[in-house]
Amino acid sequence: MSTQLEVRGLSKRFRVGNALFNRSEVHAVDDVTFTLRPGTVTALVGESGSGKSTVAKLLVRLYAPTAGHVLFDGKDVARDRRRRDIVRYRSQVQMIFQDPFGSLNPVKTVRHHLARPLLIHGVVARARVDARVEQLLETVGLTPGARYAGKYPHELSGGQRQRVAIARALAVDPAVVVADEPISMLDVSIRIGILNLMLQLKEEHDLAFLYVTHDLASARYVADDVLVMYAGQIVEHGPAAEVLSEPLHPYTRLLLASVPDPSLGERPDIEVRKGLASAAVDPPDACRFVGRCPLAIDICSRVTPELVEARPAQAARCHVTAPSPHVREERHV
Amino acid sequence: MAQIQVELPQPSPPVLSAPISSRRRFAPPRWLVLLVRNRKGQVGLGILCGMVLLAVLAPVISDPASATTFSFVTRQPPTWHHLFGTTDQGEDVWAGVVVGARRSLATGALAGLLATVLATTLGITAAYLGGIVDEIIGLFTNVAFVIPTIPLLIDVTAFLHQRGMLTMVLLLGFTLWAFEARILRGQALTLKNRDFIHAAKVSGESTWRIVFGELMPNMVSRIAAAFILTFYIAILVEAGLEFLGLGDSGKASWGVSLYWATVNSSVLQGEWWSFLFPGLAIGVTVFGLTLILAGIDEVANPRLQSRYGRRRLLAALFGSGRA
Amino acid sequence: MIETAEHRETPPLARAGTLVELEGLTVDYGHGERVTRAVDGVNFVIRAGEVVGVAGESGCGKTTLANSIMQVLRPPAHVSGGRVLFRGENLLEKKPGELRKFRWRNVSMVFQSAMNALNPVMRVGDQFVDMMRAHERVSRSGALRRAEELLDLVGIDPRRVRAYPHELSGGMRQRVIIAMALALQPELVIMDEPTTALDVVVQREILQQVRALQRELDFAVLFITHDLSLLIEFAHRIAVMYAGEIVEEAPARQLHREPRHPYTVGLMQSFPPLTGPVVRMTGIPGSPPDLSSPPAGCRFHPRCPHCDPGDPQLYARQTTERPLLREVAADHRVACHLVEDRGR
Repeated sequence: MSTQLEVRGLSKRFRVGNALFNRSEVHAVDDVTFTLRPGTVTALVGESGSGKSTVAKLLVRLYAPTAGHVLFDGKDVARDRRRRDIVRYRSQVQMIFQDPFGSLNPVKTVRHHLARPLLIHGVVARARVDARVEQLLETVGLTPGARYAGKYPHELSGGQRQRVAIARALAVDPAVVVADEPISMLDVSIRIGILNLMLQLKEEHDLAFLYVTHDLASARYVADDVLVMYAGQIVEHGPAAEVLSEPLHPYTRLLLASVPDPSLGERPDIEVRKGLASAAVDPPDACRFVGRCPLAIDICSRVTPELVEARPAQAARCHVTAPSPHVREERHV
Repeated sequence: MAQIQVELPQPSPPVLSAPISSRRRFAPPRWLVLLVRNRKGQVGLGILCGMVLLAVLAPVISDPASATTFSFVTRQPPTWHHLFGTTDQGEDVWAGVVVGARRSLATGALAGLLATVLATTLGITAAYLGGIVDEIIGLFTNVAFVIPTIPLLIDVTAFLHQRGMLTMVLLLGFTLWAFEARILRGQALTLKNRDFIHAAKVSGESTWRIVFGELMPNMVSRIAAAFILTFYIAILVEAGLEFLGLGDSGKASWGVSLYWATVNSSVLQGEWWSFLFPGLAIGVTVFGLTLILAGIDEVANPRLQSRYGRRRLLAALFGSGRA
Repeated sequence: MIETAEHRETPPLARAGTLVELEGLTVDYGHGERVTRAVDGVNFVIRAGEVVGVAGESGCGKTTLANSIMQVLRPPAHVSGGRVLFRGENLLEKKPGELRKFRWRNVSMVFQSAMNALNPVMRVGDQFVDMMRAHERVSRSGALRRAEELLDLVGIDPRRVRAYPHELSGGMRQRVIIAMALALQPELVIMDEPTTALDVVVQREILQQVRALQRELDFAVLFITHDLSLLIEFAHRIAVMYAGEIVEEAPARQLHREPRHPYTVGLMQSFPPLTGPVVRMTGIPGSPPDLSSPPAGCRFHPRCPHCDPGDPQLYARQTTERPLLREVAADHRVACHLVEDRGR
């Protein structure tokens, strides 16, 4: 029995406009499927509005899915309503938030933040909570733990706060950690330190990480697998090395061409086409990237492409680069 | 005269971190320490403490009975023997003020407490639970808000036979909570979407503990401000009602003193001492509370600490010619 | 502005004209004993037509530097030493009226968040008109026409002149801000983290546009950001700031090839590459110093991997003596005790 988290056909739709008259829905997350395995980092890459943060919140039950399944250890947990089941899930799936200051309660000490999960889930006996708190702090590099335990968030630097947030997530000894842009609000020089810490903890505790980010470079640095999201859908997935060096989907290629990389010397300008990565309202049956795609053909505006495995373990949602069998037939006719 | 719709510059919901000193568990919250150091806070707290002291020491510094007992020494202007003079009925005005302080302050404080408890509970619950609960509480809040408070209280007190302190406290408490409930709900709404609340949820914290353990401690300064505000409004309203004769005119209290002063035409007869001193007592107390409020505002809202901001605040407090 | 063939051929460095020169600029926040020195004795030059980047993390003083050039420092920030020269004239000696004319006409600024700079209740076109009529004698229709031209210049449909800011996407709003900054044809445009809040694709689109415009209209750009990798691609010259000082300054490619200051090296080590092998990187341990009490001597020494008590003489210098900017190669200056003086 492997402790893995599997997401199948996960969807989240939000109603927009006046609830009474306007039945429009924004498809924030549309038919997302992936698996998180122990000891791996899966990067969920996308721009703002692509739905990646919504996926993260769905995984930690801050939102309830509109459709789809979340299978933990084979059991569908998405629709659990009993407090006992929810608490058990929360002891297995934890989250690190983006804002290192906002995710800590300004009027509570570091000790409080770590002690609460320990007490709620009965991880250690009450008498041993303080010792465990200090141990956790030292695990994330805040040594000596005793000195940091009594501090308030405003007494810590951004990097230190984020380490506390990581310690909090680790307190319950989870199987899965969802990290929602954990470094984007930190100073550049300390980001690598946090990423290295995450990698180290992943090794030591055999964690399954979902690393949500808009930064491809950091995704490449930590991830084993990459999922690329656009307008609520996964448009490409596969091993990080492959997806980021030989991308299939035109959007992935556009992303890679846009990220600054000084080692590449003088680069050609990217083509500017109007379009947004954010989720669509009542999207029609078509490829959502069609307005910006240099490869677009007729079928792209008529049929939503499926995720098709065009190379071993690498799949993309594109009629041109990863056509599904019957589309390929249609084109040859 | 007292108006319920006091246009005090409300702080934009400031969320002041109020850490307890890491060394001692029961050290005062930081904002309180800052308040005490703040000039306005100092003066305000000083005035309030002074009034409370007077009230507490009333039996020592005056003859309480002389406040409500007829004597033949009537209509005396202030003398050494009667510091504030005597009324038409020979009652000692000084005793009336210090004994009256007990009733006025106690009623105001208790009414303020009741109103604040109501406002906090309802406001935070509405914000955090949202949905239908929010709608229902919102309905009650809006109704309580819209009904003109003083006319309502006039009607009710005129109707009631029992006009003791408890009645007054309950009446004031149940009418003054709406204003602050809305404000506290607003602040709770902004807090509710902060990541640390989400993090508490993800940690498995129960709703109760989130509301009282994580959310409310971040609102303490605003709740304290709500208390001070309802406190001083209660004092003013109570005084107003008593002035109109709707209080318990047998007991000593500032509003009642004013009532009798009017009824006995002391004003027309030039006996300024029988209404000036009770009136001053009300005014000074309210002023002190207003200063405390301004102090909390300044401490909680750093923008008010600039010279420019301070000037604007003073203009708002005193510029529009409010009594 | 008429573009001439000569303008296009001549590399910017060789052209005459120092636009901005900062001489020993010192900017403090507050007074008395609780003062924080945000910029400490900085010497800096921006020449006409060049793109200069200033890289640094939060609290290094780069935004304060930019605000000093624009003379928009807000109290308690104030210039406590040095000069800010624009074409030889000291801006610190100018009267408010002269400064108002100078701002936006000679130097304009693009801020990080367009929503902070745009009035949400006015149409975009009207904001242009307002701004232009504050500086020039121009009719409303003339100003609107110019606004449409400018929007077209930055790649927005000129008809959007009638739009409200909230009707535009983040990237478009940022482009509007850039258009407004270019409206009066300034000689220098200061951009303070102009694309940080934007997605990477939009960021590249905008910067491509800015680069094209810069070549065409020949204005200088002061580009402030924490993203050093971005600067290496887009800037001609880069200055790296740390704790209120410039610690290294070099042409962009040169800086990338041969960073000399340990902080610059560490900063480069903080950007994982998109190509090549994936190796463990180090970043920089510790965090930026508290500017109200910065470390003695070299401000970077607590975090520097080359600061070691094992070499007592060097260590003594590193902890007591502030290193000065010394030239180590052509147009390449470093402020570091480890670096030897070359020539001069």
